[in-house]
Amino acid sequence: MYSWIWRHLPGSRAVKLLEALLLVAAVAALLMLVAFPWLEPRLPFNDVTAG
Amino acid sequence: MSHVLSPVRGSPPPRRRGDPMRTTVRGLGELLLTAGLVVLLFVFYEAYVTDWSSAEKQRQATAKLDDTWSNGRGVVDRPVKGAGIAKMYVPAFGPDFVFTVLEGTDPDVLAVGPGHYQGTASPGQVGNFGVAGHRVGKGSPFNSLDLLASCDAIVIETADHWYVYRVLPLRGESDGWAAGKGAQPQCRGVGPLPGHYADVVGKTIVLPNQVDVIAPVPGQPRRTPVSRLITLTTCNPQFSARERLIVHGVLVTSSPKADGQRPVELTAGA
Repeated sequence: MYSWIWRHLPGSRAVKLLEALLLVAAVAALLMLVAFPWLEPRLPFNDVTAG
Repeated sequence: MSHVLSPVRGSPPPRRRGDPMRTTVRGLGELLLTAGLVVLLFVFYEAYVTDWSSAEKQRQATAKLDDTWSNGRGVVDRPVKGAGIAKMYVPAFGPDFVFTVLEGTDPDVLAVGPGHYQGTASPGQVGNFGVAGHRVGKGSPFNSLDLLASCDAIVIETADHWYVYRVLPLRGESDGWAAGKGAQPQCRGVGPLPGHYADVVGKTIVLPNQVDVIAPVPGQPRRTPVSRLITLTTCNPQFSARERLIVHGVLVTSSPKADGQRPVELTAGA
């Protein structure tokens, strides 16, 4: 999976590295801003109310 | 000629394309590693990232409450859900511990700050002023609730009053209270409660469905209250929702707000 992505990134090694970092940042942002806020209330980790 | 330059012994075996077993196993391994990283990222999100957004929401709620109070519009009978109703100070958690308490206990309200259980008493009233708060993330206002000791002050500021509650004697402290801890100066007005309140102690751990901890008389939902209590609830143990940590306090002093005057509990740090 990761080697496939690496092979398909265009440019020199330095450019590829930058692109890979950008990809990681984009995925992390998607998780933090969209996926986790959606998921969090559905998980039983942080219920503080009685009843 | 050095042997490392040998094309056969020094270099890795040539890539064999289209080996399905190898591709599948490697893909599975990478997926599992990725899943582990995502879980770690979620923990980071839950414990830290939610703090950042909640801090901003809490700041806005506090600014709005200050604005409401300064305009003399603070006294309302039935605050709308999500509106700031009071400020909570716990000197035992440090002089900078202040949170705006909001009306309601929905998740989006609790993401802003501690929430007042709708239908429970208002601050200072006879009955039970019930407040829920997060223990991990979202500003974690009640992170250290387990560290509260008996007689620790919980100060509530409303539009027109200061109310000082103090944590009730803990389990096992009631016997010999008057001669023991009850003799300490900060415990004036605090003691084991009589009658139907006999089982109400400063700190308990209950199951999530034990809603009667926020009843007017905790544990006795059908009794008519005579005392003025505060009850704080949060999750227990930390990072889990298996149980609830409950702190009960009793009102010891209340005073109308006068210009610039703060209760001695806040100025002396008692």
